[in-house]
Amino acid sequence: MEAPLLELSRVGKDYAKVDANGGRLRLVCDLLRGRGAAQVFRALDDISLELAAGESLGIIGENGAGKSTLLKIVAGVITPTRGKASVRGRVGALLELGSGFHPDYSGLENIDLAASLLGLGAAEIASRREQIIAFADIGEHIRDPIKHYSSGMVMRLGFAVATALEPDILITDEVLAVGDESFQKKCVAWIEDYLVDGGTLLLCSHSMYHVQKLCRSALWLKDGRAVQHGPAADVSQAYLAYHEEKAAGGKEPIAERAAAAAGVYAIQSLELEPPARIACGASLTVRGEVFSPDDRVPVVLLGVVRADGTPVYGVATDMDGVPPKRIGARRFAFALNFPRLPLLPGKYLARAHALDPEGVRLFDHVERSFLVEGETRELGLTRIEHRWEA
Amino acid sequence: MTSAPSPSRRTRGVAGAPPPGARQRALFANFFRRELFSRYLGTFSGLAWALVHPLALLAVYAFVFTTVFRAGAMNGRSFIVFVAVALWPWLAAQEALQRGTVSIAAYAGLIRKVAFPHEIAVYASVAATFALQFAGYLVVLAALALMGEGVRLEGLLLAIPLWAVLAVAVTGLALALAALQVFIRDIEHLLMPVLMILMYLTPILYPLALVPKGVRPWVAANPFGYLVDRLRDALLDGRLALEWGDAVAAAVALGLFVSGRWLFLRLSPYFEDFV
Repeated sequence: MEAPLLELSRVGKDYAKVDANGGRLRLVCDLLRGRGAAQVFRALDDISLELAAGESLGIIGENGAGKSTLLKIVAGVITPTRGKASVRGRVGALLELGSGFHPDYSGLENIDLAASLLGLGAAEIASRREQIIAFADIGEHIRDPIKHYSSGMVMRLGFAVATALEPDILITDEVLAVGDESFQKKCVAWIEDYLVDGGTLLLCSHSMYHVQKLCRSALWLKDGRAVQHGPAADVSQAYLAYHEEKAAGGKEPIAERAAAAAGVYAIQSLELEPPARIACGASLTVRGEVFSPDDRVPVVLLGVVRADGTPVYGVATDMDGVPPKRIGARRFAFALNFPRLPLLPGKYLARAHALDPEGVRLFDHVERSFLVEGETRELGLTRIEHRWEA
Repeated sequence: MTSAPSPSRRTRGVAGAPPPGARQRALFANFFRRELFSRYLGTFSGLAWALVHPLALLAVYAFVFTTVFRAGAMNGRSFIVFVAVALWPWLAAQEALQRGTVSIAAYAGLIRKVAFPHEIAVYASVAATFALQFAGYLVVLAALALMGEGVRLEGLLLAIPLWAVLAVAVTGLALALAALQVFIRDIEHLLMPVLMILMYLTPILYPLALVPKGVRPWVAANPFGYLVDRLRDALLDGRLALEWGDAVAAAVALGLFVSGRWLFLRLSPYFEDFV
């Protein structure tokens, strides 16, 4: 088997933390003696991954999760503090805006500079210069210094250079966000061609759309560590779900016990079947027990909300005329089955409310989260029955 | 034509990293050209300036020292020749150290985003300075020879290797200063007065013989002073024989280069975070 193009084994990167000049002096002494910095910020820790030729990996995570640091290690811009990174082949890196450009150089000079950074000879670059100028499509500005360019123009030139120099691994860091709509399309089309042609891609993006469209697998970084590494659809869904949950403020289920003392109707337990993960369109059963302080049959309202709190569907026992079943003194059981849950992939909560027998007063509620999994590019919350007319 | 360059290279598989030597040569050539052109040669009258500047400087020194101060002959040579032979190597060293020290900062944008051997930035900066100053030196020597000032041009046979020794030593110092400058920004500002003081403590504008006996050993200990003496031997007296001191000078220069480079390479992995 061919060796992977990229191999990271337990890679970590620390950044020195210094403020005043005195600290910097001490830092220099430490570094010269071959010791690491005394105070460090751990930007990346214990990352292992392999990327074979023709694979595409998306790197996702919040700001400051270590995505750029990881890409810089792959690009060879920084050396990892721990672990080993080995890269075979030519790396074309688009790290942030205007990566690898000298602001004082003109566009043309920067093309030559990029070529010499890759070790191309004068003849090799001359043959590609026209191609690059045409792809960048920024007209006469190609003769102006880069510092006078708009960010979109820098991006255009950067992409044109990185692609024309035929990288074995293409690294892009959030660059697709800058260009205008038509240039973005051009870039995405180019990357798709490149992947079809067997190119290898490392894409860092906040756009799950791009990650799902362009990458086969994805790596989710959080605080410098890998949270999840797997198929792009799964990882990006989990990542989105994490964000939805975070936006909802992380409501925890309430403890059930004290209900008797307070004399309130309370959900005692709530279970999902299957627990935690279900496939899109599969059967889901929500069951649990409810406490009734006066032993009258309470009403239970069951609902499904998305992790960010958006209600999707709710139904109560009294609406359907199916009261909870008495299973003991002041205890009642309920179970609700969705035979083919039409929710689209994402993270959701099953929520159970206890109501008084009249169905008027709402008491406490309990939640259980679950993940709907599946590979689909449909949008929204739920699959609506549909038919395309000819 | 705006269509994408077609990614048709898959057929030939992994290109592999280019041979490091070729890459470094290409980079050095690019940086070196850029350094040259950003100083004089980029402008329309660039080449003329590169020649006029040293001659103008020579004229100013001639005016100040021979017309205003009325400095007489030095060691039997006209004062202006005596000074010129030593001044240009000093200017080269001084400018190379100053520019070399800040050369890493000048490439900050690249260092943060592209992988390349950072030392090339320092080499290109020092080399460009030496190339320009040496060209100026030749212009000045030619001008003096034409004015009948008695310059022994065959002395260049020894002067050129001496310049090379100086360049190696200065490169080593510049590497160390450049690396330290990334972390300690004061270096750049300390360097200016230090170089100024060193210039007056080196027998450039005066012969060692004029220095009072008590402090003469101190002034003589200046290694740059040794180079100055040897240049005067060669270009003023036409003495071309090698001395064993020359070997010591070469060894010292090499030592400076090796230790400067060691320091630089030790610190350069951390540049990205601090430039």
